[in-house]
Amino acid sequence: MGQITLSQVTKRFGDVEVIPPLDLQIDDGEFVVFVGPSGCGKSTLLRLIAGLEDVTSGEIRIDGTEATDLPPARRRLAMVFQSYALYPHMSVRKNIAFPMKMAKVPEDEQNRRIEAAAKALNLGDYLDRKPGQLSGGQRQRVAIGRAIVREPAAFLFDEPLSNLDAALRVGMRLEISELHERLATTMIYVTHDQVEAMTMADKIVVLRAGHIEQVGSPLELYRAPRNLFVAGFIGSPRMNFIEGAEAGAHGAHTIGIRPEHIEVSDGPGRWQGRIAVSEHLGSDTFFHVHDTGLADVITVRASGEVGLRHGDTVALTPRADQIHRFGADGLRL
Amino acid sequence: MSTKASRAAARLMISPSVILLLGWMLIPLGMTLYFSVLRYNLLMPGDNPFVGFENYSYFLTDPGFTAAIWNTLALVLGVLVITIVGGILLALLLDQPMWGQGIVRILVIAPFFVMPTVSALVWKNMFLNPVNGLFAHLFKALGLTPYDFLAQAPLASIIGIVAWQWLPFATLILLTALQSLDSEQLEAAEMDGASPLSRFRFIMLPHLARAITVVILIQTIFLLSVFAEILVTTNGGPGYASTNLTYLIYVQSLLQYDVGMGSAGGVVAIILANIVAIFLMRMIGKNLET
Repeated sequence: MGQITLSQVTKRFGDVEVIPPLDLQIDDGEFVVFVGPSGCGKSTLLRLIAGLEDVTSGEIRIDGTEATDLPPARRRLAMVFQSYALYPHMSVRKNIAFPMKMAKVPEDEQNRRIEAAAKALNLGDYLDRKPGQLSGGQRQRVAIGRAIVREPAAFLFDEPLSNLDAALRVGMRLEISELHERLATTMIYVTHDQVEAMTMADKIVVLRAGHIEQVGSPLELYRAPRNLFVAGFIGSPRMNFIEGAEAGAHGAHTIGIRPEHIEVSDGPGRWQGRIAVSEHLGSDTFFHVHDTGLADVITVRASGEVGLRHGDTVALTPRADQIHRFGADGLRL
Repeated sequence: MSTKASRAAARLMISPSVILLLGWMLIPLGMTLYFSVLRYNLLMPGDNPFVGFENYSYFLTDPGFTAAIWNTLALVLGVLVITIVGGILLALLLDQPMWGQGIVRILVIAPFFVMPTVSALVWKNMFLNPVNGLFAHLFKALGLTPYDFLAQAPLASIIGIVAWQWLPFATLILLTALQSLDSEQLEAAEMDGASPLSRFRFIMLPHLARAITVVILIQTIFLLSVFAEILVTTNGGPGYASTNLTYLIYVQSLLQYDVGMGSAGGVVAIILANIVAIFLMRMIGKNLET
């Protein structure tokens, strides 16, 4: 079980309102990702759920029981910290055993769970080492192991991959996703990286300045962003926004079109521009097109290798069914 | 220092200070060793014949010697226990966010700036004096007979005075160590269900181990040679009740004008200090390795 309900939760630090009244429902077994730019309150929200910060007002319910004033240990949640927060003087085995030791789990049971966690996370060879002797990815696994053995109602991850290098990050992302498939426990995951959000989440919560901008599955957010902020935040490279007459022609204040939904060619097209930068990734090529008269830069994706280079004049044609229209208030029309 | 030339230059540059330091240490040490094997008493001028280990056997069989050894140990251990336990508690308190934190911290550190003779005199005359001291007034206010601390419990009183002086040092070192503890570790322990006491026992104390080691090592070096506090309060008495090794050497060499005996005592003190140092390094030195 792991159903978490926030109703009218607020948080103030002195005079600063970090979280304005906020409602959120997290269902059992869901993988929920809180995503937003830094300083948007996503970590604070996680710490409120964990109980490491007190809510200023509002109510948090875990599995239907009031948990607003429960101490962290009694909420049956396990947290993986950004710095891993392993206990440096304890061996890996003792680190993993620590929550069970505090809960006075019998020794046999402790050993059984440690073995199971070590097997699941490939930690068997490192159990007697100290955290200082482990690599970043291994430390991350130990931190997850320490969370697993408590058999919590939900896991909380606070930007767990931000200290890892790019290759490891992709690997750990997969491992955490697999772990979620296997355990089917609720997971709440905080990140500022929209790629992590898109690849892992069942449900993404986009936050800005403590406000929930949109909640939905990754594809819902991708297909139908509710406002300009979500549209710009989800998707990589980010969506192109065009204002003025071109937008007016679609009956909107602003139109958004993703780089992958614009056709690029050297023949005639709807828009004209000059390639300023081309980024060749092999599988894709990204062009930064200037002088279109629509926006400073239009980013365009072309599949595979295209024989266009810096300085070439190109024609751009947006796919009409993929144009997102926004009103003057920034909301989707 | 990579090239041969720069290494040679570096050696040349540091040689004056190395030579000065060596001379500063080796010449007095050599003279102490030399005097310790002479019959050399300032009250009996004349030639100073070589007497071998006679001074040592006199010093070691002196009735004050055994007492001085035990007093030295009691003083060092007593002060260490008080300062480390008290230092940890004070550091935990001072680590809490509070109003006027800066001023409180300076106040706590203040005793360390008072020189030992002055603080011992303040304690002797203003606190412990059985007639005019604050404690005497307090006892009288409660209807009790004033207690003559320095006469009835001289060693305990000196341990108290010295501990008062060293408590700020221990507090300061332990406080900085406490502040360097990653708060996420404490939060993780909190999430893991550790009570405040277990958090202290399993997270804070191991983190403080290295700082405690540093405090023990540094304080032991200075506490083995406590002198001023004894000189201005009890003069080592009553009897030998508060005489430590340093004070015994002072009594032998300066009160009895016996340079030979004093030197022999000094050499014994050096040997004992080294034995203590070796034991300390064996016992807790491994804490300093990473």
